[in-house]
Amino acid sequence: MTKIRRGRALAAGFLVAGLALSGGVASATTPPAGGENVKISFLTHWGPDTVALLQSAVDAYHQDHPNVTVEIKAVPFGDLLTTVRAQAGGSAAPTIAGIYDLWLPELVRDGVVAPAPDAVSQDVGSNWGASTASAATVAGTVYGVPNEIDLYALNYNKKLFADAGITAPPATWDELLADAQKLTKRDGDTISQQGFGLINSWAAGVVHPFASLLASNGGSLITDGKPTLDSKQATETFALYENLVKGVKVTDPTMGTADANTAGPFLDNFVSGKTAMIIMANWWESALKSGMGDQAFADIATAPIPVGPSGDGPHSISYSWMTVVSAKASAAEQAAAWDFLSWLNGPTSGKSGASAMADILQSMGILPSRTSDIAAYTDRLNRPFMEGYVAQLANAKPFPIVVGGQEFTEALQKQIESIEFGQASAADAQKTAQADAESILAKAGGATAGTTAGTSGG
Amino acid sequence: MPSRQARLDRHRGWTAAFLLPSVGLLAVFVVVPIGLTIWLSLHTWSTQTPFSSAVYRGLGNFRELLADGPVGRDFRQALRNTFVYAGLSIAAILPLSLAFGLFIHRVAIRGTGVLRALLFSTYMVPTIAVAIVWSKLYSPSEGPFNQILGWVGVSRQPWLSSPDTALRSLVLLNVWQQVGYFTVLVVAGLTQIPDSVYEAAALDGARGPRLLARITLPLLRRTLLFNVVIALINAIQVFEPVAALTQGGPVGSTNVLTYHIRRVGIERSQGGLGSAMAVTLLLSLVVVVSLVFAVNRRGYEA
Repeated sequence: MTKIRRGRALAAGFLVAGLALSGGVASATTPPAGGENVKISFLTHWGPDTVALLQSAVDAYHQDHPNVTVEIKAVPFGDLLTTVRAQAGGSAAPTIAGIYDLWLPELVRDGVVAPAPDAVSQDVGSNWGASTASAATVAGTVYGVPNEIDLYALNYNKKLFADAGITAPPATWDELLADAQKLTKRDGDTISQQGFGLINSWAAGVVHPFASLLASNGGSLITDGKPTLDSKQATETFALYENLVKGVKVTDPTMGTADANTAGPFLDNFVSGKTAMIIMANWWESALKSGMGDQAFADIATAPIPVGPSGDGPHSISYSWMTVVSAKASAAEQAAAWDFLSWLNGPTSGKSGASAMADILQSMGILPSRTSDIAAYTDRLNRPFMEGYVAQLANAKPFPIVVGGQEFTEALQKQIESIEFGQASAADAQKTAQADAESILAKAGGATAGTTAGTSGG
Repeated sequence: MPSRQARLDRHRGWTAAFLLPSVGLLAVFVVVPIGLTIWLSLHTWSTQTPFSSAVYRGLGNFRELLADGPVGRDFRQALRNTFVYAGLSIAAILPLSLAFGLFIHRVAIRGTGVLRALLFSTYMVPTIAVAIVWSKLYSPSEGPFNQILGWVGVSRQPWLSSPDTALRSLVLLNVWQQVGYFTVLVVAGLTQIPDSVYEAAALDGARGPRLLARITLPLLRRTLLFNVVIALINAIQVFEPVAALTQGGPVGSTNVLTYHIRRVGIERSQGGLGSAMAVTLLLSLVVVVSLVFAVNRRGYEA
């Protein structure tokens, strides 16, 4: 038995117990005293190439701020939230962390993240769109600096479409089903090329495309804080999934698995031309390019989410990421962290009026969210793959940000996957999903009662 | 001359003094955390807050684990997955390690030392590195495993991508990594059996399988019992392959308890509920290990 294994012998609960030994929220927004050396850390889930770009930005900042040292730590996406929570308050706690907006309300409730100083709050309020700024806000207080915004669209392989004699991407669910059947190839009973790809084993990868199809059918996951998975629109969306798998049989769920780095078979199969269509977010542009090469990547196009029978038009789901500062960091560390973030996301740190953060995000194909960054990158955002996403921004609906949102997402993920793998009918999965959502959100609401944290808007 | 009682008292004092460092460390790092976890399992508590913020809720957390809601369903599935994983792992590791051990110990050919080193080497590699390599081996479309199966006419297997095969695929990885370690233990156990016992049995006409059944296995019983218990504990602690390869999916089919406790206790910050799961796991482990010892004792008595 290794020491690591032996150390887990008493189960993770003991680790959980030790985390409570820290307490007390440092109050601090005063700038670091001149000349005082401050070391801060930046936790991210970005890959090595992107971390290298962040390191270049850190080096540039360090030249002008020699007393501030920024150390970058990177973990897989699957470990990010755990690292933020498990290290909170400890000596290894990251001073700055990049987080998914859905996690913010609970991190605020638990005192993990610090409120932004006034100057940063005003900057966020003035230089970001209202919906993006609201995702970084809890009960009227700004807690993070937004950086990226992501949304979903239909990605399709033009070469496979041409081979199947299809001239345009599907605009409705009926067209989606018809096209997917033409695009599906079989080797005996096995699907060798799936017309439409579904993702599994990754909560956002499962739920966001489902929510995009639901929104494009006139429905929503949560309305006014209550789950609405029992709506007619949701019934039709669950039924669509069942039809894709069991009805027209145009998708093979075993081709859609994701790993902890949000890569794996679902990506491999699209890259290798074994998946003709899939609903995915803009950020995977860099993964597609590196997997396919520029020539094959030119065959990939973007289209709006197909509209369902009860929908009024295509609506993507959008979400954002932001950088937050640890509430347990010292006053000097917090001040240095906010100053670094203001510079990193400000208009002077990048090229041609863009921020250094925007330059980093664009290297991955991610949309920056600061107004001046969008203006600075107007030309590049019009490239063929990205323009389809940019065009949908106006119609996108933010993923609902509520306390308990992550647990809600994981519960819904399980029900959607149970349809994909034939373990439940669409009707049973829908019924269970609604009951679970009601239970989870009611419990999370109860846990929130009595705290000062509310929830930001959608 | 001091009285017998005085000598005993002095002896007890020295005994306590020598035991104190190890027992004290044991108390601080084992007994206190266990006690704390049991106490927390009776409370509602966020892992990000001090212990003083915990709110007593009696057996409420345990009732939730048994209830029909999402918490109970996910917990019971994780518990079931954990014991299926452990059972399959032991069922494969035990006979394989015995076979390899007998081969290495009994067959007098060159290269058994190399084989022993090769078998043990898989145990030396960090599990996370093994998991990353195996994720490529298991790739349904381009993985070597499916390519090899294709050469012999076997159709493509979904491995980690199907709820029907994902857990068994993780078991296969575990067996590959652990079997060498248990083989070394079997070899160590075999060297403890005196040659004179085999010589006496041979004089009585015992050969081959009869020798194995009547001499080797009974005298190896303690080693095999140790292997079962350690393999069980190792299997129940499985974490890295799940975190790196499957994230508990698809459809929760590989969601084992250590991974689920991390998700509930840390990601969701529900420390009381996570502690209740940890306590239940601990109790389950105590019951299973006690059963193993009881079965072993009955075997002796029989």
